[in-house]
Amino acid sequence: MLIGLSAAIFALGLLGVIVRRNVLVMLMCMELMLNGVNLSLVTFAQQTATAAGAVLVFLVFVVATAEIAIAIPIVLLLVKRKNVLDLDAYTDLKG
Amino acid sequence: MIDTLLLWLFAGTALVAAAAMLVLRHPMRVALALAATMLALAGVYALLGVHAIAIFQVLIYVGAVMVFMVYAIMLLDVRDRSFTRRFSWLLVPGVVVAVAFLAVLAHGVWQVLPEPAASTAGARFGIQTFSLEFLNEYWLHFELVSVLLVAAVVAALAVLEVGRRDRG
Amino acid sequence: MSHLPTAIVLLPFAGFLLNGLAGNRLGPRFVSLVGCGLPIAAFVLAVLGVLDTRAAGWTPRIDDVYSWLVAGDNRFDVAFYLDRLSAVMVLIVTGVGSLIHLYSTGYMKGDKSYARYFAYLNLFLFFMLLLVLGRSMLVLFVGWEGVGLASYLLIGFWFEDPDKARAGKKAFITNRIGDAGFLLGMFVLYEAFGTLDMDRINVAFLAGAPGVSATLVGILLFIGASGKSAQIPLHVWLPDAMAGPTPVSALIHAATMVTAGVYLVARMSGIYVNAPEASALIAAIGAATAFFAATIAVVQTDIKKVLAYSTISQLGFMFVAAGVGAYGVAVFHLYTHAFFKACLFLGAGSVIHAMSGEQDIRKMGGLARKIPVTFATFVVATAAIAGIPPLAGFFSKDEILWFAFGSSRGGSGLLYATMATTALMTSFYMFRLVWLTFFGRSRMTAEVEHHVHESPLSMTSVLVVLALLSAIGGFLSIPHFLEPQLALPEIVPALEHYETPLLIASIALAFAGLAGAAYVYGGAGGRAERLAARFATLHRVLSGKYYVDEAYEALIGRPLLWISDRVFLRIGDRALFDGTLHGFAALGRSAAAGFARIQNGSLHVYALLVLIGIVASISFAWRHA
Repeated sequence: MLIGLSAAIFALGLLGVIVRRNVLVMLMCMELMLNGVNLSLVTFAQQTATAAGAVLVFLVFVVATAEIAIAIPIVLLLVKRKNVLDLDAYTDLKG
Repeated sequence: MIDTLLLWLFAGTALVAAAAMLVLRHPMRVALALAATMLALAGVYALLGVHAIAIFQVLIYVGAVMVFMVYAIMLLDVRDRSFTRRFSWLLVPGVVVAVAFLAVLAHGVWQVLPEPAASTAGARFGIQTFSLEFLNEYWLHFELVSVLLVAAVVAALAVLEVGRRDRG
Repeated sequence: MSHLPTAIVLLPFAGFLLNGLAGNRLGPRFVSLVGCGLPIAAFVLAVLGVLDTRAAGWTPRIDDVYSWLVAGDNRFDVAFYLDRLSAVMVLIVTGVGSLIHLYSTGYMKGDKSYARYFAYLNLFLFFMLLLVLGRSMLVLFVGWEGVGLASYLLIGFWFEDPDKARAGKKAFITNRIGDAGFLLGMFVLYEAFGTLDMDRINVAFLAGAPGVSATLVGILLFIGASGKSAQIPLHVWLPDAMAGPTPVSALIHAATMVTAGVYLVARMSGIYVNAPEASALIAAIGAATAFFAATIAVVQTDIKKVLAYSTISQLGFMFVAAGVGAYGVAVFHLYTHAFFKACLFLGAGSVIHAMSGEQDIRKMGGLARKIPVTFATFVVATAAIAGIPPLAGFFSKDEILWFAFGSSRGGSGLLYATMATTALMTSFYMFRLVWLTFFGRSRMTAEVEHHVHESPLSMTSVLVVLALLSAIGGFLSIPHFLEPQLALPEIVPALEHYETPLLIASIALAFAGLAGAAYVYGGAGGRAERLAARFATLHRVLSGKYYVDEAYEALIGRPLLWISDRVFLRIGDRALFDGTLHGFAALGRSAAAGFARIQNGSLHVYALLVLIGIVASISFAWRHA
């Protein structure tokens, strides 16, 4: 059941990245994906009684933190440049 | 008995809040929904007996990451085009593929894995157990992660161009 | 001794290499020494070889050099063959060739490409010797092509002038058209006999029932011969070939290369004896060519062009003789023609040298006293070509006329009448040339007249030798000498008693021509101009050489160019090939452009693609796990 929940949360996160336009909301959906993965790690750790799962979760925490610490400033600077939060404005890397 | 009930309660909250994230219009409300999800997940962790992780979930994820997120939302003017038109043009294809994804996963999981009991029985990781395990077996990962954090700090400084003078 | 023919052939080739590679560095003296010395040495060896073969009772001596190509059952050897016919040819080629080399040391003195000239001349001699000494048609063909190449190189010797270069190209290309016929003939022969050795082929044909149409082979080989020997319709290159230095015209376009066609027909007499239709064709074309070339020569104003058309005409005579079966007589005329025509060309060269490069006979006149040696030798050679007895030309031409009339293998009154008229015209235009060039009042410009001088000894000595040979050469009866190998045809019995009357007629024709020329061009009044005015249209057509070149250009040249441009270039090359290639490139580009649309910068699309990829990978993995 918990595995299913983690799969659902992961899918919802990825879906959110695909369907939502606001860049901040997309960032939060990426965080949601990480949470889904954490849940599955914890479930497996608890069931197989290995500590590796828990340790990995901790490492995921740290990585997520570092990632958000960089991502948000980048998004802030981008948005300051264009004054638009809509992702459709940021298609300069096409072709 | 009560454990199972609480487990279902927290799991359900997490699911509903996650779904709400996709539908809410105002980013601040989305942030709050995410925070709710994370807190519910912390509850699940605690019920599963991995208290250390539960604590860290609340402290780090909700306490630092979500606060930072809320801070960023407050800095920006959120009422623009993406406010009125929430969804991108890939809504329908996205939903279809996501459902397919879930179907494939479900099919695979129930084929491959034995149905795990969502029980609260199982190992319990207290702080002490956790720390000992961490620093005995995974000290290398610990060090590497420290380096990652330093890199993140440097990167943040670089992005903000701290210390550069004469930049209008 | 058995490799004497190889030595004869290789000496000029050594001269080519030495002069070609080292000539410029080693100076004109070295070039003259090597360039003349080696052909003279070849001549000496040729004489020795002929004497040796004579001592052996004229059994043909065969010199196998090496096996060129072996492919399965097919085998092509390089071998040289010295019999009566090749003896005559090799002596002419090396003898007259050496004389002309000597003459060239005087004529080409001071030219900046002196070494290149002698290198090419020696190269020509090498190829010509391959041609006449080769046993197999393949070796002959190598020589055939090689003399064509040497001719091209020498005609376009002063290639900085584009007209001269174009003349060289014209000669080569016209030759090549004839060579197509030659090659086809060789293919048919090889298919039938499995060998290209000419003596063996002749034996097979004479033994009867060869299984291959002699007429077909005869015509094909004659196409090749007519290209090389400038018969209609491939005669157009010879007048243009006068753009080359005069010794080249003498050697290549009078004495040796153009006679290669006659040599080929004579050599393959076994085929032509069995092919009456082909022989009749040869006689007809020879007669037509002789007649028409003579009519054109009557109105030409360039001294070398007159001699060029005269050469074409005399070659026609030779082919008439071959066409009625008198191969030995054709070779006889070849032999005498080599002497007097070479003397005439070299004399013309001497005149041009004296006139500081002027070649228009309307601007000459009164040169007889100024350049006496040239004048004397020129007159002797002219008398020879006109057929005045007892000079060489009289004997050979009279024999041709006799066989044209009475040969049982194609002789006829019409043929005789044509050739007799041509002989009359020959005498007329040659003496016209003498009168306009040497007699009468001088029409030269003062500047040219001031510089007129006799040529140096290197040139005049050769002229004297050749004039002497033109005078006495006829007493050596070549047809009689060649008879064991090339039998003379039977004379129709009813006509035998015409021999003496025809002999007298020949003499009369020669003198009539002389008289006519003296009348029209000698004396004070402008009789020539009045005659030209009365027959103005005829004069124009003749001066325009019957507009053959223009006809070729319009009927063949321009359509070919049109096809090449419209069909092959625009449609074939540009649209088809380039279009296909560009099409592929454009296809690649458009495909790439299509694929590039995936990268549209939108994260939504990327995320969706990631999700699709995950679904696909998982389902694939779990399905096939």
